[in-house]
Amino acid sequence: MGFTEQEIEEFKTEATEMLDAAEHGLLGLDRGGKFKDIYDTVFRAFHNLKGGAAMMELEQLQHHTHQLEDALVAFKDHDEISKEKVSWFLRGIDAARMILENKEVNFDYGNSQSNAAVEHAEPAAKPLSEVGEQPKLSSVAIDEFIAECDTISENIFSRLRQLESKELCKDDLHALYRDIHSLKGSAYLFGFAALGDVAHAMETSLDRVREGTHLPSKALIDSLFKSADFIESIIEKIKSKSLEQARGEEVQSIRQLLESAANELSPVSSMPTVDATCNGDAKKNSEGNGSIRVPVALLDNLMTLMGEMVLVRNQVLQFSGRSEDLEFVSMSKRLNVVTSEIQGEMMKTRMQPVGTVVGKFHRVVRDLANELGKKIKLNISGEETELDKSLLEAIKDPLTHIVRNSCDHGIEPADIRKSAGKSIEGRIDIKAYHEGGQVVIEVIDDGGGLRKQLILKKALEKGLVREDQAAKMSDKEIYQLIFAPGFSTATKVTSVSGRGVGMDVVRTNIERIGGTIDINSVAGAGTDFKIKIPLTLAIVPALIVGCGDGKFAIPQVHLDELVRVDQMHENKIEYLLGTPVYRLRGNVLPLVDLNSVLGIKKEADRGGDARVVNIAVLNADNHPFGLIIDKVFDTADIVVKPLNRLLKSLQVYSGATILGNGDVALILDVHGISKVSNLGLKKTSELSTSGESSEKTRSISDRQDFLLIRLNSPTKHAIPLTYVQRLEEFKSSQVEWSGKQPVIRYRDIILPIIRVGDQLGFEPLARDRELIPVVVIQRGGKLFGLEVSEILDTLSTALSLDTSLVSKPGLFGHLNTTDELVVVVDPFAIISTALPEFSPNKLNEQASPIALSAPPTVFSKHDSFDLTAPKKILLVEDTAFFRKSIKAVLESAGYEVLLASDGQDAMEMLSSVGEKIDLIVSDIEMPRMNGFQLAATIRQHPAYNKTPLLAISSRADDKYVNQGKKVGFDYYLEKLQPDVLLNAISNLVNHPRGAA
Amino acid sequence: MNFEGTKAVASSTSELLTTFHVGEHFFGLEVMRVQEVTGHPSVVPVPLAPAFVCGLVNLRGQIATAIALGELFGYGRDTTQQMSVVCRLDGNLVSLLVDSIGDVVEVEHSQFEPSPPALPASIKQFVKGIYKMDKQLLSVLDLEALAKELSPNQEIN
Repeated sequence: MGFTEQEIEEFKTEATEMLDAAEHGLLGLDRGGKFKDIYDTVFRAFHNLKGGAAMMELEQLQHHTHQLEDALVAFKDHDEISKEKVSWFLRGIDAARMILENKEVNFDYGNSQSNAAVEHAEPAAKPLSEVGEQPKLSSVAIDEFIAECDTISENIFSRLRQLESKELCKDDLHALYRDIHSLKGSAYLFGFAALGDVAHAMETSLDRVREGTHLPSKALIDSLFKSADFIESIIEKIKSKSLEQARGEEVQSIRQLLESAANELSPVSSMPTVDATCNGDAKKNSEGNGSIRVPVALLDNLMTLMGEMVLVRNQVLQFSGRSEDLEFVSMSKRLNVVTSEIQGEMMKTRMQPVGTVVGKFHRVVRDLANELGKKIKLNISGEETELDKSLLEAIKDPLTHIVRNSCDHGIEPADIRKSAGKSIEGRIDIKAYHEGGQVVIEVIDDGGGLRKQLILKKALEKGLVREDQAAKMSDKEIYQLIFAPGFSTATKVTSVSGRGVGMDVVRTNIERIGGTIDINSVAGAGTDFKIKIPLTLAIVPALIVGCGDGKFAIPQVHLDELVRVDQMHENKIEYLLGTPVYRLRGNVLPLVDLNSVLGIKKEADRGGDARVVNIAVLNADNHPFGLIIDKVFDTADIVVKPLNRLLKSLQVYSGATILGNGDVALILDVHGISKVSNLGLKKTSELSTSGESSEKTRSISDRQDFLLIRLNSPTKHAIPLTYVQRLEEFKSSQVEWSGKQPVIRYRDIILPIIRVGDQLGFEPLARDRELIPVVVIQRGGKLFGLEVSEILDTLSTALSLDTSLVSKPGLFGHLNTTDELVVVVDPFAIISTALPEFSPNKLNEQASPIALSAPPTVFSKHDSFDLTAPKKILLVEDTAFFRKSIKAVLESAGYEVLLASDGQDAMEMLSSVGEKIDLIVSDIEMPRMNGFQLAATIRQHPAYNKTPLLAISSRADDKYVNQGKKVGFDYYLEKLQPDVLLNAISNLVNHPRGAA
Repeated sequence: MNFEGTKAVASSTSELLTTFHVGEHFFGLEVMRVQEVTGHPSVVPVPLAPAFVCGLVNLRGQIATAIALGELFGYGRDTTQQMSVVCRLDGNLVSLLVDSIGDVVEVEHSQFEPSPPALPASIKQFVKGIYKMDKQLLSVLDLEALAKELSPNQEIN
């Protein structure tokens, strides 16, 4: 003994070379090399290594290479050897390498037939470091030891899990054993006796399972888990440098636990589950080969430097943009490419698979399920999705919290699940994937879903919202309430969750790292938490904008789009009770002027540009708003630099950055801006006292969109936008005639052109127009073109339709806007009168083959009044306009009408109203739960599976009708044909399903 | 940073101060707390920030917060702040804008006195005490007080 470190190092290098040579030779066989040719090389390698090992007093290595050499000699004069043998030798070489690396090896020499007599290698062979001088326990060594322990303990956990789920194959079991064994070895080596003792006990307890004579019992696995927990806690202790205390008692109790569990194992004759060999393992091992361990601090430093380099690159690029020196320009381009590549690769060094965090949830869910007495299966997909290490650490707690919540609140107890017709075993899916430059992690449970009413009730109790606001809140807004501080709907406080701390922290933590969290929930079907996280924090893509004299960066994550508004144009910025708003595709977008947010004085004259306004549409907590900015410069990858707390406390900045030209730009905090400008949820609660914004909220939710058109009449006309398929402009030369009907060949079909003005009895249009504006309407799967004089605009209004003045067929009614009266046209009626061959009844027969065995008898309207008691109809329709008009039709026929705004709403109503519902009339296209889903759900419902179901939709082509039939609709009708609807209804309520 | 060559090491009875002028007043700051002294940097203003925060400075790729000491002390900003003293406070860089830089002086602890009560409150809170120099009085800046000013307790909104 007593070799210097250098001598050991030299030997290692030499040995590695010899092994490489042998390996190379053996691998050559696979490519058609002759065994004879390589025999000498391989033999020499083994032989020399044996000699060297003996000289260095490395007994294990000497022994090992001796075995290899002997095995090889047996084939001395063979022309070839079997593939299995080659693999065996290769494994032997790997094992020799491991011995060299001080790793412990359990090599099965028995595989070599020529050496069947050779006994197994001593499993507890001494590692090299023990053979040489006892190394001093430097902090580096301890760090490495800890890192290794971490890896091993993770492995142990994952293998125990496999063992539990009976997915563990023999190889894995051996690997588990090896892991525990090497943990034991290094623990003793470093003097952590408690750790070593526990590992030893684990090892012993596994003995019989490993030998294949006994099956692992639940008690054994539980105690193994416990031991692994204990090991983890010790490792944590060592990490935090708190000295290991004598924990003799704990160690003792764990040892006893393991021992007793091990003694009670039931023996088996064969090992049905632990027989198979795994293929995946070999792959994992080979991946591990090419990696080295680097301190995180070094990576952090590199990252910072990388950030600087990106800045310099940006500066060079800007400079080269002005340069005319071609060589310099091309050089700077190369610099750009290389830097970007380095940046990408650099990012990867900090990346870790999400699996390192979510993988732990198997354990969390398992324990929780046991504790709560539920059965829960956890499925994880996309574990390999990678995320910056610091981000991964930041989402660990929030994710754990969400998963715990899903187990506790989400998944219902088994009895409830059973009665709801679900499988007793709950299911939680964790999915991680990339989407739009972000990483998305979803936690989906198939539990009871969020209970809106309960959330609202709690929120009201806690004073988070007021009643009048609560009534107007959208689902999203209601779900967001669970993130409010101090909010919990759990009826009982369990040790798992329900104390109302947490969800607010979850959101804060996720937002702190620039992420967002979204909730989707369907009552009875489950909840979906969607967390979006930027790939990395250090460098983010951003849009650079200008305001006043300053430059500001808006992170792209929060930027939805840019809109340039010409104030001379009709669609311009409007003022709603003093608040600037902009109509973006029919939605009213609240606007905030960055100048006023930042208190920058507007320059009195902004020159010729005053009429053009730039709006950045931003998204904070799912509340979109528009930010008015003076200038838009460019997009850039910016390096985020922190601000001091004084500036952070201003709320509107999240950091600062240095731009390519060396300028400093502030990074805008989108959430903060929305907060300080009182947008979003907070705003309604603060400002609605003034009454203004509550008015606004209401009007947005009840808004109905119309397409404003001009006919040959002084009055403006409108078509409900929901009917409109497309707007077209045809040349008048395109018009052809089919008999008396003008048509246009339009994408493979013949589009009949109907002059709306003519149908309504206005003066005929001049024929010599060059362009014909046409509104394309779809009806019953066919397209119709409505020719108008001019297509004006869209109108989004909360006004209700005044139907009292309908004088002509083809009109719905009037809208009384502030400036003028707008006549609303019924496009289907126009089509029916213009083209009688598409009359409702005829169309209906064509389009809805469900229309019963006995076609609906045509009752006159009055027949419906014969009903002795008013029948109750549940009308499910998301569009306020149709909701009102259909309700009016039904009520005029004497029915009592209940309203629901979508499928989910309907289901909630069905379960809350005690009374009998005689008929359900439902739209198809609806948010959250559409008509098809609703029908399917109702047909499953014990109380309503016989209730007649009637679909009304503006999409009545065969595909939809057939699908409607499949999911259980009795009728499928086109929207707004009052007579047909009433006929069908009276048919259904008088001859209920099943009785007919 | 070795302004005074070998003398830069302070003994136990004395300390070295970087001195500078703000308006009429003469201030000092422990040498070891000063990272560097630069000319007047170009400052990007931060809208909404308190008046004494001039803005942000690009200090060779690092971002420093520029503090107008004159403004902080309530002299107003009409002083000609030409130089900047860069220090690290709580991990953040701050650039203290001053009118002019003086010498690095060695002062005896025996000459130290707590700041007299007569000082205006706006200055007093940032002054640890004064040194009685031969020609004038030197006020020692209290960086901790400044740090506190720069990290208010996060308001809860």
